Amino acid sequence: MSILANKDTYVVIQGGVAGVNAARRMAEFCYLIKRSLNVLAFVYPPDAGKSHEIPYGSGLVAVPIYKTVAEATTHHPQINTSLVYIGADRAMKGGMEALDDAHIKVVSMITEGVPEKDAKILGRHATKLGKVFNGPSSIGIVSAGSCRLGVIGGAFDNLVLSKLYREGSFGVITKSGGLSNEIIWICSQFADGITTAIGIGGDAYPGTDYVSYLEMFENDPQTKAVVIVGEMGGDLEERAAEWYGAKKRRVKLMAVVSGFCQESLPKGMKFGHAGAKEGLKGEGSARAKSDAFKNAGAIVPATFGALGPAIKEAYQEMLKSGLVKEPVEPASLPKLPKTVEEAMKADEVMVAPLIRTTISDDRGDEPCYDGYPASELINKGYQIPHVVGLLWDKRLISNQEAEIIKRIMMLSADHGPCVSGALGTIIAACAGIGMSQSVAAGLIMIGPRFGGAVTDAGRYFKYAVDNKMTVDEFLVYMKKNHGPVPGIGHRVKSLRNPDKRVKELVGYVKSLNTKTPCLDFALEVEKITSVKKDNLILNVDGTMAAVLVDIGFPVDSLNGFFILSRTIGLIGHWVDQKRQDSRLIRLFDYLVNYAAPKRREVPPLKQ
Amino acid sequence: MAKVLEGPGMGLMKKWGITVPNYVVVTSVDELTKLGQVNEWLKKSKLVVKAHEALGSRFKLGLVKVDLDFKGAEAAAKEMLGRQVGSITVVQVIVSEMIPHKEEYYCAVKSTREGTDILVANCGGIEVESNWERVKCLALEVGQQPSADALEKVAKEAGFTGPLVKKMADFAGKMFTCFDSEDAQYLEVNPVVLRELDGALIALDAVTLLDGDAKFRHLDWNFAFAAEFGRAYSKHEMEVMAVDSKIKGSVKFIEIPGGDTAMLPAGGGASVYYSDAVVARGGKLANYAEYSGDPPDWAVEVLTDKVCSLPGIKNIIVGGAIANFTDVKKTFGGIINGFRKAKSEGKLKGVKIWVRRGGPREKEGLDAMRALKDEGFDINVFDRHTPLTDIVDKALQKQ
Repeated sequence: MSILANKDTYVVIQGGVAGVNAARRMAEFCYLIKRSLNVLAFVYPPDAGKSHEIPYGSGLVAVPIYKTVAEATTHHPQINTSLVYIGADRAMKGGMEALDDAHIKVVSMITEGVPEKDAKILGRHATKLGKVFNGPSSIGIVSAGSCRLGVIGGAFDNLVLSKLYREGSFGVITKSGGLSNEIIWICSQFADGITTAIGIGGDAYPGTDYVSYLEMFENDPQTKAVVIVGEMGGDLEERAAEWYGAKKRRVKLMAVVSGFCQESLPKGMKFGHAGAKEGLKGEGSARAKSDAFKNAGAIVPATFGALGPAIKEAYQEMLKSGLVKEPVEPASLPKLPKTVEEAMKADEVMVAPLIRTTISDDRGDEPCYDGYPASELINKGYQIPHVVGLLWDKRLISNQEAEIIKRIMMLSADHGPCVSGALGTIIAACAGIGMSQSVAAGLIMIGPRFGGAVTDAGRYFKYAVDNKMTVDEFLVYMKKNHGPVPGIGHRVKSLRNPDKRVKELVGYVKSLNTKTPCLDFALEVEKITSVKKDNLILNVDGTMAAVLVDIGFPVDSLNGFFILSRTIGLIGHWVDQKRQDSRLIRLFDYLVNYAAPKRREVPPLKQ
Repeated sequence: MAKVLEGPGMGLMKKWGITVPNYVVVTSVDELTKLGQVNEWLKKSKLVVKAHEALGSRFKLGLVKVDLDFKGAEAAAKEMLGRQVGSITVVQVIVSEMIPHKEEYYCAVKSTREGTDILVANCGGIEVESNWERVKCLALEVGQQPSADALEKVAKEAGFTGPLVKKMADFAGKMFTCFDSEDAQYLEVNPVVLRELDGALIALDAVTLLDGDAKFRHLDWNFAFAAEFGRAYSKHEMEVMAVDSKIKGSVKFIEIPGGDTAMLPAGGGASVYYSDAVVARGGKLANYAEYSGDPPDWAVEVLTDKVCSLPGIKNIIVGGAIANFTDVKKTFGGIINGFRKAKSEGKLKGVKIWVRRGGPREKEGLDAMRALKDEGFDINVFDRHTPLTDIVDKALQKQ
């Protein structure tokens, strides 16, 4: 047996994230004691109509979210308890809503910082209705082996260690959340554990006080003794002592009270829970409360530390008198399934990876590129081209190589608004599309006819050099197998009107006096082709390709240099249009050659 | 509970129709001089000047001056402003008119578990303290409003007669309205005086304690709450309060000068048991501290920094019960960072650290604490199997 919460307790949780976390903890307890999840519904208007997936064992239970408590109890008439996790400014309204629902008999409020006036009104309302209002600031209620309300009891391991999977003989009432757990643990180590533990909250006026719960424990035959962890301030402990002393009670009462330190502190200095305030006339001190308990015949250990041995002594007496029997521990208990991460950490499972990467890793405190921490690269003077080298070719390139890449990027960053890529981005920007999509619209244009010839140019120049072809052999090979040579030819530039970018790049690379077999070959090709036709010159794609192959970049990465560089320009075009607040554009009719058939009659639809 | 200084306290009473003396709160003599030019009463009445700070025994400290003319008030303000009392600098003075009177009474409203008590007495000032049996009480239930009849009845019981019965009932009724409407926890006017001029009841001195938790629905509470223990909050205390107001969960810190045992425990309940254990062992607390509700690690780090900065400490008690949902590893991570920082700043020399804790991820958290030994910290770490306050016994035994 237990009080307040048992196997028949079904719960609605009012509130958002904190409530969901509590539901997860409650599901762990339900799993431990092999009952189905006792949280049947959430009430949280912003998410009404959706559901929360609560892990239970290795599966998930969908718990529906409703707009009102009434909706929740209509759909789930078994609900008889509400846990309130609503913010302090709306907690009273939520508490009232729950109390006023005919299905609900117990409301426990977890919210902290609820105005005193609101708490008093809620408490009074519950009393009038003959219901229980627990809290505010309650950590929750747990009945061993049958029901957990809230996070009381802590993590799964602690539930097992504190033997909350089966009933003991001790009831617990505390103001403090952390200490409720401590006492549950002590009861399980020095005695046979608890029946029910209740956190009543540390506010000045908890909705339900010790006395009401003492009455309930007195009427629960399984509970043989009750442990109260009290605090200075208010008169709840005195009332509990008064109750205990009023007549012979079946339950044994044990109590400790905190706040003795106040006696030796500077006058007026106070701390602890909201309710832990000595009265203006000195009433409610720890000593007064302790004495009240002692005078009423309760067991009052001198310190918190002495509580364990005192509980043990009481338990041994009960055993001796036959009031209780040694508990029988279950042969086995469910184990909480491990997450994949936990199981891997414990070397219990092997998982076949879904993807494999060889370039980067950000699982530490910062990303590493090919193993080098980004901050270290920065601090040691490396530049963006070095990062490109690490991520595209997995090697630290030389400073000279980095300089070439930098120049390539600077030369190809943009080429005005008229080219396919920029135009695509601008049209998208004018249509009000966002940056990533507009830039992507421009990037889509990069292909065999626009900026996308770098990879192929590199591939064939490299093929020729690797196979020691002469220019003539190469041109024959290309004509026979692939068609025009990528990287050769320009729409507007020609021998007489050379591309300054090409001159610039070739001049720089040549000035370095390094071996450039591909570039040399490409220039030889140009000599032959440009004779055939004036504009069949080595273009910027071909030049970049040859130079990058000479540096050693893999052929497949080469288009990336154009894509990367041009992205700078495309972003610029998008920002430029955005800044101007450009309007939607459409093509003028006079720019279109309408070659479609003239307007004609539609024939009747054939059956 | 949040204490409110006299000025804003009287402001709230005035708002609900209680007559208070004319008063101004000023931060400079210039301000007072200017106010004198536009407020006739300042020139006409006898004046009282008081330091408007959370200070006890202001009379003894010479921070209350009575029966002054305006020139005298200016001189008194000049003398008080900028005075240093302990950790507090007087930055405000309240100047109010003296009310000539013969009779003094008492009226208070306080929160009780059952509802609200309205207290009245037909004596006032220090007389009330020694004649508590003359204070009569009208007890109201939660949600109940006092009727005019009930108020008059309690006034009569307190010994008021003739027209004063109605006046006192009316005054107490307004006190209740102010209390109820402003989410007060305690309102006390002592003395209530009968103004000779017109026979009106005036609230001469006010104690106002409000419910800080209700601030969200009182947008006109534009005043700061005063420290409740007769001194201003220290810089470090205010820094921790600023963090506390920003985070989920809580961190609390109060300095106690002269102590040598520093406290860094978890939980509003356990922290007081730890403090009790220190006192019971004959130790001297250097502070009170507490963190709870799974606060972020950086907030716990700030708290740790303040604890490590306490002067003359010999032990730090990092205690805690078995947490329900506070992540031990995460919060200990904040403490460890704080310890490392303190050590690098040359603090913690010769300081012993004592740790006891349980809760989610307790093993990882305690292991991380134990590892501090290798970094040269004098640290002793215990788990849930060591009873809660035993680390205090161990710490103070060894001294």
